[in-house]
Amino acid sequence: MPSEFGLFVSADPGKCSGCKACELACFQSHHVKRNKVGLTVGTVAVPVTPKLYVTVMETASMPIQCKHCENAPCKAVCKQFAISRADGVVIVDEKKCIGCKDCLMACPFGAVSLLPYFVDGRPVPQADSDEGKVAAAKCDLCFEDTAGPACVRACPNEALHLTDVDADRKRKNIAAAEALAVINAGVPERGLL
Amino acid sequence: MNGFVQGDPMLCIGCRTCMIGCVVAHEGLRIFEIDPDGYDFHPRLKVVKTYNVSVPVQCKHCENPACMAVCKSGAISRIDGAVSIDRALCIGCKSCAEACPFGAVEMVTLGGVLNADGSPKATANKCDLCKDVPGGPTCLRVCPTAALRLVTQENMGETIRLKRLGALEAALSQES
Amino acid sequence: MTIIAIDQNLCTGCKECSKVCPTLAIEGYPHQPQTIAESRCVMCGQCVQKCKSYVSVAEHGAEAYERVRSERGLPESVKEPLFAAYNVCRLNEVKAALADPDKFTLVQCAPAVRMAIAEDFGYPLGTLAAGKLAAALRRIGFNKVYDANFGADVTIMEEGSELIDRVTNKGLLPMFTSCCPAWVRYVETKHPDLRNHLSSTKSPQQIEGALMKTYGAKITKTPAEKIYVVSVMPCTCKQFESSRPEMSDSGGRDVDVVMTTRELAWLIKDLGIDFAALPDEGFDKPLGDYSGAAGIFGVTGGVMEAALRTGYELLTGEAIPAVDIAAVRGTDGFRTAEVPVGQLKLKVGIVTGLKNVEPVMEELKAGRLNDYHFIEVMTCPEGCVTGGGQPKLLVDLDLPEAYRARAAATYSHDKELPVRKSHENPSVKKLYDDFLKKPLGKESHKLLHTTYAGDPKHH
Repeated sequence: MPSEFGLFVSADPGKCSGCKACELACFQSHHVKRNKVGLTVGTVAVPVTPKLYVTVMETASMPIQCKHCENAPCKAVCKQFAISRADGVVIVDEKKCIGCKDCLMACPFGAVSLLPYFVDGRPVPQADSDEGKVAAAKCDLCFEDTAGPACVRACPNEALHLTDVDADRKRKNIAAAEALAVINAGVPERGLL
Repeated sequence: MNGFVQGDPMLCIGCRTCMIGCVVAHEGLRIFEIDPDGYDFHPRLKVVKTYNVSVPVQCKHCENPACMAVCKSGAISRIDGAVSIDRALCIGCKSCAEACPFGAVEMVTLGGVLNADGSPKATANKCDLCKDVPGGPTCLRVCPTAALRLVTQENMGETIRLKRLGALEAALSQES
Repeated sequence: MTIIAIDQNLCTGCKECSKVCPTLAIEGYPHQPQTIAESRCVMCGQCVQKCKSYVSVAEHGAEAYERVRSERGLPESVKEPLFAAYNVCRLNEVKAALADPDKFTLVQCAPAVRMAIAEDFGYPLGTLAAGKLAAALRRIGFNKVYDANFGADVTIMEEGSELIDRVTNKGLLPMFTSCCPAWVRYVETKHPDLRNHLSSTKSPQQIEGALMKTYGAKITKTPAEKIYVVSVMPCTCKQFESSRPEMSDSGGRDVDVVMTTRELAWLIKDLGIDFAALPDEGFDKPLGDYSGAAGIFGVTGGVMEAALRTGYELLTGEAIPAVDIAAVRGTDGFRTAEVPVGQLKLKVGIVTGLKNVEPVMEELKAGRLNDYHFIEVMTCPEGCVTGGGQPKLLVDLDLPEAYRARAAATYSHDKELPVRKSHENPSVKKLYDDFLKKPLGKESHKLLHTTYAGDPKHH
């Protein structure tokens, strides 16, 4: 049964090496049709625009991506109705995005970037100039890919996984309940009962 | 130290009265007398039944709460020794539910409450030690087998003192 | 001369490259930019293939891409992602030579290039494109479109004869192949005492280069000093090999400049050549004539198989019972086989992936490989089709399929060629009749054999 609540990809900073294989896999999988990106680097003729963002600190790294919030602030603030939420997946429609940046500011995780918007290998033109359009870019859980999120598959260190908090909670509840048997056995006054 | 409610699987009979008491206390409604679809049934503790045990699981009100550490919307705070969620601030990002190792945070959809964009409002939900309920934690008051106890700084200190005394006596009995 | 570099502004310190570096030449703390220890680096370019840390609009800003592209001297037509680990591009030298009316430009392609270049034009992994490759090189404007595969056939004549000579005259055995410049560099730096095990025969690239500047000058009636030789290689180390001072037996440098498969794809795009619309054309004769045996040099075990096809027939005087020698094919890091050649049981070994060679060297030093005759070593994971200069995969999950498909294309190309043994290549026969006279002869020794660092006569 599908989870009532949105799934999301979470990362383990203890396993992430910061290699950006997830970013490239994300970009590749989203641009096969839109920009004729093939399997090799040489088939790419547009800027690499991923939907998750590897963030590196001095001692650790991990990709930051959308949590597909139930009350998504990005969606709440979008005046263009460019952000929708269907089947637990928060999706940006680049065609509608006017680049107002409200969603970037509203997201508490920094999961949204404003990136060049290319179609058929060319920038989508602005009304008044040759400068191409930009659009909000964020994780869409590879909803069009039956094999699931490309980033999870591509990570060489198995640092990414698709999280279903409800299923996880049930598993953790059971472990916590079993632990309570051990915890209570260590309470001395219980022996008096 | 934050207090917390702890269940004992040896005493718990799995009747789920605690879950119902929790909902009644937080909803403030006489739920047995009204339309079952007319209120949210979101108990903040869960009776877990496995092959080995039946026992309610709820928040431990950790001293360094993982849920609070990951919350980026400021919705989780410690109020009078209870780690509590401010539903108005919760954006439903699920990070706290992922972070809690006990599964004590559950995502719930609130009936009749809508976000500004018209979508149903969801929130993280967890035990708040009945901080706004007169008489304190309802679950342990309604349990027919007294399977729940409130662990406080005082009684936990006493429990540990008793354990240490027991260990000392055991050592002495070996010497004699 | 820097061949492989890591851009300190782009490297995130993930150290994924150091996991594929066969010589542990990449140094640095995690999450800090890495550096290459040039004393250990064999320039195989596997780090270049692995690196995913690209110039990013989001992270480095809108102007960063063009800045990095111009710093690296890449054509402005290049639009593909650029990464922290890269090989130094010499396309500008190629373009300058093509534009110079005083230069007579000859080009040669390694066997593995034709199995992969189409990938960078959106074709399926491992699409054979020998005909389009020859056509593209002609459109680019090279005066002659020759082929390193011809050099590979000559390599077999020389190296095969050298093996027979070592076996019959009790020379030093086992003999190691010397086609892979990263492997040669590894022996010279890590095991200089074992260098005499290397065949003295030059690699196909250098044989082809030396022949183009001598025999080629003669048949094209062009002064050698006007001839400019360009190589297209699946390999980042071939630039290093061509720059070695001893690789100038024709008078000047035998090979003037090397570009990788990826760089040739850039050049084709830069000149506006529509790759998909190119017809299938052939390589120019005689120095572009090749057998199936030369074609399989690009896969692990290929040099061994090609040598066995010719060695068997030269030693026994009989036709080899089966041209396909399955015993030496495969992808295991170290494989061995015993091949009956007349009275002799030839014991051979094949190493693929330089990280697999160290245990073999230990065995050799311990004297446990004394009964082996011939060992092939290739640095890259499954031979040159998996080389550091080959089209780079965006997602490494596709690597196994790329490796498999390129090898499959190699073997099917071999099967479809009319001549499948190096010694039966009519242009090779003519080369020996008209110019070299015989394998290991005086002219061969001058042009086609080399010395290694530490040898008395070495530069």
